[in-house]
Amino acid sequence: MNLKVIVFVGLTFVLLASCEKERYINEPGNLVPKTVVEDPDLPSIAVNGTTLHAQTYGNPNGSMVVFLHGGPGSDYRNGLNVRQLSDDGYYAVFFDQRGTGLSKRHKKSTYSIQLYLDDLTAVIQHYKTSPNQKVFLFGHSWGAMITAAYINKYPDRINGAIFAEPGGFNKQLLDEYAESSRKLNLLSEEANDFFYYDQFLTGRENEHEILDYKMAIASSFYFAEGNKEGIEGPSTFWRNGAIVLEAFTDIAENEGFDFTTDLNQYQTKVLFIYGENNESYGLDFAEKEAAFFPSSEIVQIDNTGHLMIDFKWNAVYPVVLNYLNSLN
Amino acid sequence: MNLIKTLVFVIMPFCIFQKSIAQTVNWETLENSNHIISVGIGWDYSFSYNLGYAYQLKVKTPLLLTANFSIPSGETLLDDFKTKIGAQVLLLDKDNLKGTVVLNGIYRRYENPLVRLHNFGSEFKVTFGYYKSRWFAAGEVGFDKAIVTHFKHSEIFKETIFPDVEDGWYEPATGGNFNYGLLTGYSFKKSDLTFNLGMSITQDFRTTPSIPLYLMLGYNYRLD
Repeated sequence: MNLKVIVFVGLTFVLLASCEKERYINEPGNLVPKTVVEDPDLPSIAVNGTTLHAQTYGNPNGSMVVFLHGGPGSDYRNGLNVRQLSDDGYYAVFFDQRGTGLSKRHKKSTYSIQLYLDDLTAVIQHYKTSPNQKVFLFGHSWGAMITAAYINKYPDRINGAIFAEPGGFNKQLLDEYAESSRKLNLLSEEANDFFYYDQFLTGRENEHEILDYKMAIASSFYFAEGNKEGIEGPSTFWRNGAIVLEAFTDIAENEGFDFTTDLNQYQTKVLFIYGENNESYGLDFAEKEAAFFPSSEIVQIDNTGHLMIDFKWNAVYPVVLNYLNSLN
Repeated sequence: MNLIKTLVFVIMPFCIFQKSIAQTVNWETLENSNHIISVGIGWDYSFSYNLGYAYQLKVKTPLLLTANFSIPSGETLLDDFKTKIGAQVLLLDKDNLKGTVVLNGIYRRYENPLVRLHNFGSEFKVTFGYYKSRWFAAGEVGFDKAIVTHFKHSEIFKETIFPDVEDGWYEPATGGNFNYGLLTGYSFKKSDLTFNLGMSITQDFRTTPSIPLYLMLGYNYRLD
């Protein structure tokens, strides 16, 4: 076989192989789902200068229960069990916080706590059908921290609140929770699952598709066997907002935060729920956070962990419903 | 991307694989050594263990052909690993001052409960330093490029995150990190103790890997 034949066969092979469909990691819909910007068929609302992926369930005139998902940077998919409250007459409102889930992405430098509070105000105003309509907040983890921040600033606007394992109402408590829950043995499989892929994928600061995807595949860390938060297994989500996580991490580190300064003015009873299997939270931590309020109730949800809304909704539901009915 | 992928497939069988923290050798002690075996331990995107081999070609310009295999720590063996094959060329050899160029082809694998990745990449690195028969110290600057990557997502990923995710080969380059740091070593008899320490930064020069450093403690044994 002479050189020309070898070259011909080689080039033919190259051309045939090149016919396969090309894929780009930064194209929405390939490795991460499209947001409301790229897919106008998704349910959304345009408020406060952004477009949020949002859904509601139940009678729009019923008392409103706004669900605030965890993170920063997660989405409301694993909180959708809360929609069952619509069967009891409540108007259940869900939205992916700015820059997370299927909501519109923004530059890292634009984020602030106040912006998130303004977004929440805008969401409530968007869905509120009458001035006297009651508004309850139901926050999980980071969403419960935002719930505290909102009540701390606007106590008269909220008729009650449910806190599902808030990570910390101030920087000191957040550090305490993070140190306990995020410990990582650097020799473990979870460690290389979390760090090793950094050599495969890199994204620039505003390449959201790549960064969100990296955050998604890192999520296996949270449900790894023996995790401190008692998470039973993989939980559902649509798409993380990596830049949101980075932005609020930087804000917490550089500026600190304290959502507790005026919580003692909030006279309405609030409800705290926590998972029995979350070693990092527990009754002690719940009591520390509940102590900022004049009136509170703490309930342990048995045989579950940090994601009790997703994995043990049947146990969470009657506790939450009983609390809401007591204030409705 | 498919052209690149195909070329990589064609080229790779003719190469040997190697890794970012390639064998660190004392060029001042290599004169009569043909074979160098190395082992190492350190942080290279995870806590990793290394095994390497280098062969010195008897050509006018000092040249090492190198192969390296590394695995990160963890309970599941071989779900993640990295192989490198390449060459180190001594281009500057002026008394005790020496400068080298390192070129490697890389194949690496990553797997967790959500996805399995296969990647073909490359590494280019230059070093410059002072070498004596008993010790050496040098600086190094390199670029590690993940050129093409194959994604295969698990059922867990599809059920809980994104059912329509597209599996397959992705391009253009899926990543790239610059590395810069220091390397040093102590030589005795037929052995070298080596140490690499440096930082990593992504190709936009603004962001970094989660842990933006690398370090490697190594041992070389030279054979005639």
